[in-house]
Amino acid sequence: MTKTTGIQWQAVVNGKAREIEVPPSRRLLDILREDLDLTGTKISCEIGRCGACMVLIDGEPMNSCLMMAYQCAGSEITTIEGLHGETAEELHPIQEAFLEEGGFQCGYCTPGMIISTKALLDRIPQPGEQEIKEGLCGNLCRCTGYGGIMRAVESAADKCAYRSLPSPVVGP
Amino acid sequence: MLLNRQNSGERWRKRRDGKEKVTGELRYLTDMTAEGMLYGRVLRSSHPHARILSLDTSAAENHEGVVAVITHRDVPGLNRFGIAVPDQPALCEDTVRYIGDAIAAVAAITPEIAAYALSLIRVEYEVMETITDPMRALEDTAPRLHPQGNVLHRTQVKHGDAARALQNCAYVVKEIYSTPRQMHAYMETEGGLFIPEPDGRLTVYAPTQHGYKDRMQIARILDWEEERIRVISSPIGGSFGGKDELNVQPYGSLLALKSGRPVKMHNSRMESVRAGLKRHPMKIEMETGMDEHGRLKAHRVRIVADTGAYATLGAPVLNFATEHCMGPYRWEHMDVEGISVYTNNGVSGEFRGFGGNQAIFAMEGQMDRLAELIGMDPWEFRMLNRRYPDDPGPLQQEIWRTNGLEQVMQALAQSSLWQRRRAMSDPSAYDFLSDASSPPWIKRGIGAALAMHGAGLGYGIDDPAGGRLSLNAAGQIEAAFSYEEFGQGLITTLEIMLMDLFHCTSEDISIVIGDTDRVPHSGSSTASRSTTMAWMGLQRLKNPFLQAILQKAHDMTGIPLEQLTTGEQGIWQVTLEDDTEVSREWVISYREIAAEAQGNEFTFDTKFSYPTTPDEVVGGHFLYTYAAVAAEVEVNTLSGHVRLLDTYHTVAAGPAINPMGFIGQIEGGSVMALGFTLTEDAVMEEGHYMTRNMDTYMIPGIQDMHTSLEVEAIEDLPENDPFGPRGIGEIGSVALAPAITAAIRQATGTWVTQLPVARDQLIRPAGVWQQEGVRP
Repeated sequence: MTKTTGIQWQAVVNGKAREIEVPPSRRLLDILREDLDLTGTKISCEIGRCGACMVLIDGEPMNSCLMMAYQCAGSEITTIEGLHGETAEELHPIQEAFLEEGGFQCGYCTPGMIISTKALLDRIPQPGEQEIKEGLCGNLCRCTGYGGIMRAVESAADKCAYRSLPSPVVGP
Repeated sequence: MLLNRQNSGERWRKRRDGKEKVTGELRYLTDMTAEGMLYGRVLRSSHPHARILSLDTSAAENHEGVVAVITHRDVPGLNRFGIAVPDQPALCEDTVRYIGDAIAAVAAITPEIAAYALSLIRVEYEVMETITDPMRALEDTAPRLHPQGNVLHRTQVKHGDAARALQNCAYVVKEIYSTPRQMHAYMETEGGLFIPEPDGRLTVYAPTQHGYKDRMQIARILDWEEERIRVISSPIGGSFGGKDELNVQPYGSLLALKSGRPVKMHNSRMESVRAGLKRHPMKIEMETGMDEHGRLKAHRVRIVADTGAYATLGAPVLNFATEHCMGPYRWEHMDVEGISVYTNNGVSGEFRGFGGNQAIFAMEGQMDRLAELIGMDPWEFRMLNRRYPDDPGPLQQEIWRTNGLEQVMQALAQSSLWQRRRAMSDPSAYDFLSDASSPPWIKRGIGAALAMHGAGLGYGIDDPAGGRLSLNAAGQIEAAFSYEEFGQGLITTLEIMLMDLFHCTSEDISIVIGDTDRVPHSGSSTASRSTTMAWMGLQRLKNPFLQAILQKAHDMTGIPLEQLTTGEQGIWQVTLEDDTEVSREWVISYREIAAEAQGNEFTFDTKFSYPTTPDEVVGGHFLYTYAAVAAEVEVNTLSGHVRLLDTYHTVAAGPAINPMGFIGQIEGGSVMALGFTLTEDAVMEEGHYMTRNMDTYMIPGIQDMHTSLEVEAIEDLPENDPFGPRGIGEIGSVALAPAITAAIRQATGTWVTQLPVARDQLIRPAGVWQQEGVRP
C-alpha cells in the first residue's frame, strides 16, 4: 500500500496548541481519540447522526466523525476534556447539572450531550423547552429517555445564568 | 411516592461513577489501548445462507502489516458459543446461516490494513435458499438450518377446555399481533481489548452482563482452564440485554493468542447491526372470550417467534412470552402454544423485557377490545378480571404474594391523566381533549395498560447469587459482586445500601464489580435481578461482618461490645438511655482495625440462589413486579404522525433505594418502548438488513420525548418480606406500547395490531375526520 502523505495539522485543542502529521483526510474523531488520546469524545454511529463525538470547533458544535483534518486545521477545538469550572479542578456548571439531575446513565453519550448543551447555552442562555430540544436534537441517548437530560439542561441554564451575574456587593 | 428530586431527600445522590462520566475521563473498555496493540477485524458472511466451498486466507496472511489471520482451523476448543445453547460457530466451518456469521478474522498493525486484509480473503460459496419467514421454515420442504431441524423450542400451557369454552362465550375477540425486530442500539458498540499476559494468562477487557459466563465460554473456545482468563467487564456504554451474549470476545481472544500481542476490537455501527442481537419479532394470535357480564372465560394464544440463525436465549424468551401472554388476569380455560423458529434472519436474543413486551402488547390489546365490545371502561374491565393476591401465578405456580397489582391499578385510576380519560366518558368532554387551538385533523386519545413482570431466571434454570463483604487493607468496607454497571446505576444503588447498613460515608466504601479476578461468582446482571440479589446478599453478610469488626474494636479498646457501632470513618461508642442516644464518641478507625486483621478475618462470602417457585414449572417465576401505564397521544390524521404527549408510570417494586436510578430506568425504559411502538424496526429483506445505522433505524431523539412523564413508586412490600427491593430494569419498557395503541384507538378509531405503528393506517382523507374517532 502506498503511504498517504501527511499534512502538518495544527490546532488549538482545549486551549493547547497541538501539531501532528496526519493524512489530510484523517477524521478529527480519530485525531482526538487516537493521536491525542482524548477518548472523552466517543465513537458510535460515525455518520453524524448520534452526536456522541460532538466537539466545539471555533465555538460551533460539530460531529467530529464527519470532520476531516484539513477542514479543521487551524481551528480552536474544545472537547469534553476542555470543559471545566472556574478552575481546572472544578466542574463546569453544565457538568454539575448533569450530575445532580441524573442527566446520564451509561454515560457514553454524555460528553457529546454536554458539548451540545454548552453550545446551546452560549447561544441562548435561557432556552425554552423547544429550544433545548432543537439544541440537542443531534444527540441520541439510549438510557435516560431524555428526562434527566431535560432537567439537567434547565438546571444548567439557571446555574450558568447565576454564575454570570456580577458578584454581589457586600455591604459594610 | 411520586418520584422526583424533591421527594427523594438524601437518597437523591450524585452517581458514584458520575464525575468521570461528565468529564470524559472515564475509560470505557473500548477506549483502552495497549503498547504494541493490533487492530482486529472480522470477515462476515456475504450471504444469509450458503455453504462454504473454499476458504483461502493466504493473500491476507502475506500482506504487510497483517500479524494474524484466524479461521475455524485456529479454534482449539469448542468452536461454538451461546449462553444457553452453544450452537453459534465462533468461526464458521462449512455453512453460514446469517449475514453476521463470522468466517475469518484478522489482526493488523492499523485498522485500515486489517480492513484491507479482509478483502484479500477468498471465500467461495454455494448460495442456498434464504428462509426469512418462520412459517416457511416450518414447512417440510424447507432446508434444515440445524441438524435437529428448524424448531428451536416449543411451549404449551393448557388448562380447562379453551376451544369449547370459546364457543360458549358471549363475546370473543380474535386478533393477530406482530412486533418488530427491535435493536438495542446501545451507544457504545461492542468491542474491547484482549491482552496476552507475560505469565501465560489472557486478560479480556470487554463489556458483558456476566463476566463469569463469558470466562467460561471463552475458556471453552480456547480449551483453557477458566482461571487462566481474567474478564474485566465494566463499565459498559449500554447493553439492555444485547451484550449478554459473546460478541467480539472469541475473535479478540483468538487473535491475541495467535499474534502474542494485545488486540483491540471495536465494531462499527454497521457491523454491530449486522452481527448483533435483536428483539424477537413475534406473531401472536389471540382468541379471547368472556361472558355477558364481562368476565374473562377463555384464552387461546399461538405465538410464533423468529429466533433467527442461532438459539442464544430464544427458548427462555419464548418461555417468558408464554408466561406473560395471559396477563394478571383470572382464567378458567387457557390454551397457549408457542414456537420459536430458526430462520436466516439476524439472531434474536435477550432484550430488556425478555418477550414480555410482545406478549403484554397483545394481551392488553385484547383487554381493550373486549372492554369496548361490552361497553365498559377499560380499567374497570381490568379490575373486574384481575387476579387476586392469593391466586396462583400465570402458569398455575405458587408465587410470592404482594398487593402490587391492586396498588398499581388504584394508583393509575387516581392519576390525573386517567382522571382526564374518565372525564371524557361525558361525550361533550371529548372536545376538550382535542385542544381547541389544534386544527381539526389533530386527534387526541388516552389509553392505559397493565403489566405483571417476572424477575429472575425462573424455575429450572441455575440462578446463583452471592457476594463478598470485607474490610480491605485501605480500611474501607468493600462489597464485591459479579454484577455489572452498564448504566443502570447499580454502583450507586450498592453505595446507598452500604451506607444504610453501616451508617458510614461514601468514602468509607469500596465497591468492586466487573472483574473475575476480584469478585465472587454472584450470578449475572440480567432479568431485573441484581438489586434484589445484592440486597439479599448484604443482608446475609451484614451480621457476621459487623460482629467481627466490632469484636475487634472491643478487643482493641475494651469498650463494651453492645455500645459499639459502625459509622463515619470507623467505630463509634454510642450510649443509650431508654433507647435514645445520649452520647456518641469516636472510638477507632476502620483503617486501624484493618491493620490488625489476621488473614481473611474480615472477609465474608455468601452463596444462595434467586428465589424460585417450588412448583415444577420450567421458567415460571416467583417474584413479580407490577406496573400500570397511562399514555396520552396526539395523532395527526393528515400525516399519520403520532406524538406521545403525556405518560404516567406506576411501579410496585418495593423500596426505591436509588430514586435517581429508579426514575432513570423507568423513563429510559419508557422511551425505549416508545421507539418499539412507533419507529423502531431493523428491517430485513432476504436476510439482509435494510436499516444499517442510526439514520434509518430510528430510535427516539429528544424531540420525540413527551412533555410530561410522571413516575410513581409504590414502595410497600409485605411485612418482613425477605427479598427486599425488586429490580426495575425492565418493567418500564413492557406496558407502554399497548397504552399508546389504546390511545390511538381513542383518537382515531383505528385498532393497531402491528408495531411499529404504520402511519398510513392513521391517515384520513381531508374532510372525513369529523365522522372519525371513537367516543368513549
